[in-house]
Amino acid sequence: MRRTLDRFVTAIATTCAIAALLVIGGIVTAIAWRGAGALSVEFLTDSMRGAGAAGGILYNLLGTLILLATALAVSLPIATSLALLHGVYLRSERARERLWIALTVTHGIPSILFGLFGLLVFVRILGFGKSWLTGGILLGIMMLPTVSVALAERIRALPAKYVETAAGLGMSPSRIVRSVILPQCAGGLVTGSLLGLARAAGETAPILFTATVFAGATLPRGVVDSPVLTLPYHIFVLSQDSLDPEARARAWAAALVLLALVLCLSLAALPARLRTHEEARHG
Amino acid sequence: MVDATTCGTTDARTILHVRGLAVSAGPRALLRDIDLAIPERRVFGIIGPSGAGKSTLLRCLNRLVDLDESLHVSGDVELDGRSIFAPDVDVDTLRARVGILFQQPAIFPVSIEKNVLFGARHLRRLDRRAAADLAERALRDAALWDEVKDRLDAPAVKLSVGQQQRLCLARALALDPEVLLMDEPTSALDVQSTDAIERLIVRLAPRCTIVLVTHDIDQARRVTDRLACLGLRDGVGRLVQCGPCCELLDGRTNAEVAERLGGGSCCD
Repeated sequence: MRRTLDRFVTAIATTCAIAALLVIGGIVTAIAWRGAGALSVEFLTDSMRGAGAAGGILYNLLGTLILLATALAVSLPIATSLALLHGVYLRSERARERLWIALTVTHGIPSILFGLFGLLVFVRILGFGKSWLTGGILLGIMMLPTVSVALAERIRALPAKYVETAAGLGMSPSRIVRSVILPQCAGGLVTGSLLGLARAAGETAPILFTATVFAGATLPRGVVDSPVLTLPYHIFVLSQDSLDPEARARAWAAALVLLALVLCLSLAALPARLRTHEEARHG
Repeated sequence: MVDATTCGTTDARTILHVRGLAVSAGPRALLRDIDLAIPERRVFGIIGPSGAGKSTLLRCLNRLVDLDESLHVSGDVELDGRSIFAPDVDVDTLRARVGILFQQPAIFPVSIEKNVLFGARHLRRLDRRAAADLAERALRDAALWDEVKDRLDAPAVKLSVGQQQRLCLARALALDPEVLLMDEPTSALDVQSTDAIERLIVRLAPRCTIVLVTHDIDQARRVTDRLACLGLRDGVGRLVQCGPCCELLDGRTNAEVAERLGGGSCCD
């Protein structure tokens, strides 16, 4: 009976895993099938022309990278501080729980709400206008839960003997954070950052009203009223509005580039994640 | 195994004085009414049943107990006549003066040399020459130099558990502690490694006070000069008896001590 149940559960789990892999494989295949034809070196190095029906996605790619770099610069220090606050500095269990709930809730906020928040606060009240900085800050805030939770989990998994040993050697709390906790938990920071970036790279809603335009921008020349072109918005507009088959083919090619970017970020996080699992297994 | 060469010297100066120490975790008392005088440059043993608070007592001696927010400590511990709980005491400096060796070796995922210098580098500036000299001296003190001198840059995690424990000892010795607390340092080791650590304890005692928590009565007999026996009364750890090692182990004047030590003589 027990063996039959084991086999049944294994069969269900295997079926679910295969179904998930088929869905992912289907998405990748569909995008690659439709987008590969328009993909070329010129597509990556040329700027958009003819409302997306000609040229390439150079500035869209650069704009996306600028937003991601800004988001990373915004989220890294804040997420690190939040994780340290949760794992090291907060003494009260209730305070730690509240911080954890806040991070979880932030993670669940629909991305369009971040866009509306950015429109109200940064674009209108602070007067940034549509700007790459606004988009970067919003994506950075969106990434915060992913990055800080990944680091906090790593800190929580750090064996207490390391902190005790360091304290026993006369190291101050701040020195323990710098010399023991952060170096040993850096894998969590890298994993969280890359996964957060992978999510942020595909977001359209937060930057729709705050940071990006479809055409008429190249590299930012300032901070205020300085929008950028981005890949997600480019794909969104071409897919929704364009009737030109050439532009639609290029939208698929842009989607393939975006997919490759996200895949690269996820793969870059893999060694750090594997190391974490390996260390958890072997102590 | 190490021969017992000393037994119960009491003429040494007291370096650590524990007065009326009590530790509680919320409403639950863990230790109560602990009074000890730990002589300088001797090996002071602490024995007792599991749960009697031996490790907690040890962690009070360098305020490592502060790391656990749930524990409340009352009473006092004096190091060289000064309370370690005084407001002006720098707890990091205190812990450098009163080092600790844990039951399980805690090795940082860096090289052997970096492990030895892990604490020392953070407390004082060391140029390359001074660092190399200090690492060699500490490793020699821990009787590990000959085994690792050709692979100081190798990952320390590749050492055997016995070597790792001696590496932890070297790391603690690199800070030149006045007192070294040892929390069952050989409980995870094989006979050879245990023997090596015991030899080191005996060798280090003339230059550094050692407070050793042990479950092993034979080990206590082999290496300690004085012993404190903790017992459990109503679930609370208390000091049952304290005195010179052989007097405590052979005399068995106290019923609780006799019960703790079992039937046979340990100082035969």
